[in-house]
Amino acid sequence: MTRVWLLLVGAFAALSFAIVLLVLVPRAMLMRVEAPPELERYTASELDGRRVYIANGCVYCHSQQVRDPTFTSDVDRGWGSRPTVPADYVYDQPHLLGTSRTGPDLINVGQRLPDRNWQLIHLYDPRAVVAWSIMPRFPFLFEEKAPGTVQPDDRVVVIPGPRAPKDRVVVAKPEAIALVDYLLSLKRGYPVPTAARARDMEPALGSGTPRAVVETRRDP
Amino acid sequence: MIPSSLVVVLATFAIGVLALTVFVWAWRRGLFNDLDAQARVIFEPDDLRLARRWETPAQRVERENAYGAPVVPRRGEWGGAA
Amino acid sequence: MIRTEATDAILAARGLVPADLEIRLRADASSRLPVLVCYGAAVVWLIIGSLFGELASLKLHWPDLLTRDSWLTFGRIRTAHLNTVNYGWGSLAMIGTSLWLMPRLVHSELRHARMAVVGAVLWNVGLVVGVTGILAGMSDGMEWLEMSRWLADPWLVVGGGMIGFSLFSTVAARRAEHLYVSVWYILSAFLWFPMLFVLGNWPTWTGVESAAVNWLFAHNVLGFWLTAVSVGIAYYFIPKVLGRPIYSYQLSILGFWTFAFFYALNGMHHLVGGPLPTWMITTSIVASVLMFIPVVATAINLHMTVVGRFGALRYSPTLRFVVLGAMGYTAVSLQGSFTALREVNRVTHFTHWTIAHSHVGVYGFVTFIMFGAMYYVIPRLVGHEWPSASLIRWHFGLVLSGIAIYVVALTWAGVAQGLALLDPRLPFEASVIRAHYGLIGRSLGGLLMTTGHFVFAWHVWVMFRGRRVAAARPPFHEARPILYTAPA
Repeated sequence: MTRVWLLLVGAFAALSFAIVLLVLVPRAMLMRVEAPPELERYTASELDGRRVYIANGCVYCHSQQVRDPTFTSDVDRGWGSRPTVPADYVYDQPHLLGTSRTGPDLINVGQRLPDRNWQLIHLYDPRAVVAWSIMPRFPFLFEEKAPGTVQPDDRVVVIPGPRAPKDRVVVAKPEAIALVDYLLSLKRGYPVPTAARARDMEPALGSGTPRAVVETRRDP
Repeated sequence: MIPSSLVVVLATFAIGVLALTVFVWAWRRGLFNDLDAQARVIFEPDDLRLARRWETPAQRVERENAYGAPVVPRRGEWGGAA
Repeated sequence: MIRTEATDAILAARGLVPADLEIRLRADASSRLPVLVCYGAAVVWLIIGSLFGELASLKLHWPDLLTRDSWLTFGRIRTAHLNTVNYGWGSLAMIGTSLWLMPRLVHSELRHARMAVVGAVLWNVGLVVGVTGILAGMSDGMEWLEMSRWLADPWLVVGGGMIGFSLFSTVAARRAEHLYVSVWYILSAFLWFPMLFVLGNWPTWTGVESAAVNWLFAHNVLGFWLTAVSVGIAYYFIPKVLGRPIYSYQLSILGFWTFAFFYALNGMHHLVGGPLPTWMITTSIVASVLMFIPVVATAINLHMTVVGRFGALRYSPTLRFVVLGAMGYTAVSLQGSFTALREVNRVTHFTHWTIAHSHVGVYGFVTFIMFGAMYYVIPRLVGHEWPSASLIRWHFGLVLSGIAIYVVALTWAGVAQGLALLDPRLPFEASVIRAHYGLIGRSLGGLLMTTGHFVFAWHVWVMFRGRRVAAARPPFHEARPILYTAPA
């Protein structure tokens, strides 16, 4: 059985080494990261919205990280004023960093597209406001009511253009409202907290101080 | 403050030395003896003698010399009809 | 087999005993039911997963397709695709092949085979629960870990544990002194996967730490589960069909251990440029490049075993698929090492390139090897050969042309997208528009692949149904002829 034990111990050691190096050691370091004072915890509605985001797989097309401006053009594109750092994600369980930009990065979308109405229209039918978009529609987050049945406290969403449903009033369900609450909470424009600027915590290159956004793009 | 890259390098070096030690131990213990037989543990006598239609005449002679008279393969032997 | 004293003497001189045949027959008989269950389920999941994948692909260039219902939204269908093809098709095909191979490799019968069958059933229950949950919006949130950790995952843990118990017991009771290289890969994989599954699904990870865990898990599922078992399987079938031992056994030892130590560290290359300590990411990039060593070692080993005998690919569908799959392994790994470099990654990250790359691996490598293995194993399970050479040719042609078109189209889309994203003067729209035709090409490739899967599934179904025919004659006890369809 020597061979089998040697094999299994060796294999175990190989994976354990990686777990120690890439999970446990960083955990010890990252536990020192404090929440930035400007970053608020998610409210109950925002957390509900985050669950809707996860349930519908938004993370598979949208990232939530801004990379260093000396590395790529995330900042120049207007997706953030500075690269994001570990401290920006302390309240995220689990992370939603994403690995795909079929759609734009969203970590600062609350700052970039703060119009609640636009967000609701866009969720109901992205192509009603962004003609070239390939994002799916989410009509199931809304109700399409007959005009006479609309309640006074219903959140009505007026869909512009030819894609509006005929003879129906679009009313946002609580899920849609919660999702928009979550999206609008995504802002990481405050300066990097100095407590998190231990040398090891710095992103790849650059100092992490915010840069003035040169142009405000109309680009989502 | 020790740069973390140094810690990584040292840890990897330590692991490497450990691995080398284990390797030498295994070698001394005889685990690497007769690697030839280890490579052949998957073969039954038939496997090595099956006549393989893709082999060149030279390869067939080599096989016959090494393992004996060729055996006709079963239909579907190579996975697949015919 | 024609045995004479002379042949026995030759064989004895090489340490091969004729009793091997009896051992192998018992090994095959002991694993038959678990393998049948695993293979049957795997093929079902292949069909379901392919349909999910094709639908997801269509939605990216036809975004208004089937958007009314929540369970059909892209974000759920894509996730269902990933989970069904990886934990369904890929995992079950690998588990089935491992259960068939291990008794043969250790010259023993499969221990606790009925437990393995129950385990396989439980695994499938977990999958059904998990995938249904995903379609219903129940996701744990991290990629590759979406299936509900409380409702679905425990079934996989228990089921997988039972299968693992069967496998490890078999090795413990082994009669072969030597452990063939395939055993190292497969046994290690069955140790690594449960470790990773528990680690990844642990509920307490938050923030960027959860990202590190996420990608340690996901990349090591690729490396330490899918790749490890597939490489182990390739190391068996290539020499077995060719009747030549592996070119250099020493190289396989080097290949395995460098694989084990380097692959584990690769995970953070999914987070290049991301909000994590730089040293972690650099470690992974370095480990990704170091993967050259085991990958080239394996490539040399397998190539030099086949060299001079590539004609075998015309005769053996097993070899056709397994050798191409092994080439796919080399290709995807070299591509991966290259992609991990920061200079390349800044173009490819977040783009369709990554998906194309992953399909070179999970499809062009793992799936191809699974097809090859099943073409070899299934006749031996059911006692008769595949009835139609034509269906095999169609299957091969469809999936090969499908994956080729898929990879070319999607890689092109990814590079176009990535270059557009890099240029801040171009609006985001450019990255979407420029990928459009590549995405259509990908759907075309996927359609060919899916059609090939239906062909294969049909053929497997015909094989399984024909079992009754061969049950009348004892399989494999006669040397010749053994495998043939019902006599007139």
